Amino acid sequence: MKLYEFQGKEIFKKYGIPVQSGFLINIKDKGKNLTPPLVLKSQVLVGGRGKVGGIKIWDGSTDVSKIINDLFALTIQGEKVNAILALEKVDILREIYFSITFNRDKSTPVLIVGTSGGMDIEESARLNKDKIHFVEIDPFLGILEYQIRFIVKKLNISNYLEFKNIIKAAYKIFKEYEATLVEINPLAITPGGFVAIDAKVNLDDQSRFRHEELFNKLREEKEFIQGKKEVHAPKLKEDTITYVPLSGDIGVISDGAGTGLFTLDLINEYGGKVANFCEMGGITNSEAMLKSLKMVASDQSVKSILVVLIGGFNRMDDMAEGIVKFKKELSKDIPIFVRMCGTKEEIGKELMKKANIPVYDSLNVAVEKAVKKAMEN
Amino acid sequence: MSILINKNTKVLVLGITGKSGRLQTEITKRYGTNIVAGVTPGKGGKEVEGVPVYDFVKEAVNNHEINAAISFVPPPYAKDSCIEVIENNIKLLVLTTEQIPEHDVVEIIKYAENKGTRILGPGSAGLISPGKCKLGVHPPNMYKEGHVGVVSKSGALSYEVGKTLTENGIGQSTVVAIGGGPYWGLTQLNIIKLFQEDDETKIIVLLGEIGGTMEEETARFIKKEVDKPVISLIVGISAPKGKSLGHAGAIIEGDFGTAKSKINALREAGAYIAKNHMDIVEQIKKIEGK
Repeated sequence: MKLYEFQGKEIFKKYGIPVQSGFLINIKDKGKNLTPPLVLKSQVLVGGRGKVGGIKIWDGSTDVSKIINDLFALTIQGEKVNAILALEKVDILREIYFSITFNRDKSTPVLIVGTSGGMDIEESARLNKDKIHFVEIDPFLGILEYQIRFIVKKLNISNYLEFKNIIKAAYKIFKEYEATLVEINPLAITPGGFVAIDAKVNLDDQSRFRHEELFNKLREEKEFIQGKKEVHAPKLKEDTITYVPLSGDIGVISDGAGTGLFTLDLINEYGGKVANFCEMGGITNSEAMLKSLKMVASDQSVKSILVVLIGGFNRMDDMAEGIVKFKKELSKDIPIFVRMCGTKEEIGKELMKKANIPVYDSLNVAVEKAVKKAMEN
Repeated sequence: MSILINKNTKVLVLGITGKSGRLQTEITKRYGTNIVAGVTPGKGGKEVEGVPVYDFVKEAVNNHEINAAISFVPPPYAKDSCIEVIENNIKLLVLTTEQIPEHDVVEIIKYAENKGTRILGPGSAGLISPGKCKLGVHPPNMYKEGHVGVVSKSGALSYEVGKTLTENGIGQSTVVAIGGGPYWGLTQLNIIKLFQEDDETKIIVLLGEIGGTMEEETARFIKKEVDKPVISLIVGISAPKGKSLGHAGAIIEGDFGTAKSKINALREAGAYIAKNHMDIVEQIKKIEGK
């Protein structure tokens, strides 16, 4: 779960990371009785809002309601602005990039700092490798004193103790909230000390069972801001389906991500175009099969459905049950091509035979048939 | 020989009383794998498919010789159970569980590394050395004994290629699925190193997929250390950018992790890049002079 800046900053405040004082302007109240100067920041979950005018400074010389209306009229990378964070303006002497996340290739937490912060951290990381420093953290030991000394030296920071407290606090948030990202970009040095100008905190949906209350509170806040229920609600335990809409005319379902990707490549090789792709993920049962088929079939451009099953964990008897049920419930006639093999395939194939749904053993044959059918229709 | 498992592997099943644990114990036992004990907290004293169940790993280890474990434990309890295995000095653990909290995964992998336990996974389908031992969920009828070592991220893709090889008369030494990521205990590189050292493995098949930088790192290792022929298939060439297609690891971000970058690195390392599964078969036949 991605948090809004104002949500991240609330956590920062609680853990002693200095942030600017400020308040939230809701789309309904539009902010009354404001005193300049203020920094007005649109609250969106996507990055790069500064580049598209999502952050404005009001110095008092213009009409603030116009600025606010302009911000509320913005849609940033498909995300509508529904709240603005109004912050006191601070004098920035220097900006630093700061984040704690996981280095997935090394399976370890990593602290990343950059000698200059700002909007284009990805770009500058590529161009100025000597300006970005990585410190790997042992999850059992935490950040060690010498590692902090190393960073302080590399960044050439004079206020050691204050910076150390920020590092410690950020790591504590990372651990206690089971965050996958705690990012401060930029972390500013002001005449009064360090200030976190921005806050990006991502939580791990997979750890939700340990943080139910927190997740519910944050979700309610988000829904209040967005004025609607979450569209991309966190995956439920009984469902691990990934659905990807594409632009062709063949619906594809697989019981493994690797075979799914491979099937997409094969369809491409046979000249077919994929309309959408459903991968069932770790939890495979007849319900997941049925749900996947319904999702795929709901796309009007789907002319044939290809189901690629090769069961290890996944039981073919369960899969057949889901497919047969779908076929019975289906009102329109979409041809389904099923490749089925693996665990409990004898029972699965028997069920399919009884329901008069053709099953193929060869992946190539199934792909070829599905592509041909889509081209005919 | 084969890698990691053989006829002398004695297996402990964690989460043996659950739905998957029970079914896979039945299939694996029928295949001939020596499953000696199982653990499910609170179910000690029971039996599953004739296998005694214990409350603690320690009890199982005290009563049986055990040198490998496989876990079907659900995500909330996975870390606890893995640490218990590692603490009891079992040196190989197949972790099939998916969706374990990231902070737990990182701790499991680090703890295993510190104590010298090899972890395959998380989210791994396990491995099979046809005719000798199966420690995972590979469908047994898709494999036969032979000299091709296969390593895959995806479980299902390793079945797919195993099936294709077997149907075309090509046997395998060991087929390993390391998991879809984005975190891994044993990596492609670790497995390929074992294949390189294994007398029985003559040809190595590497099944990679888009996302991450593992294949590129593996390619550097192959270039330096591997003299056995390597055939590689990278899937996801036609996948759209920036969209997660299931495996958390399989997402293209920026220029990293594209099929092209992986294919280039592997080709440069001397690997043959197969167009599809049938092309793997043809290439193996060519190498074997058939």
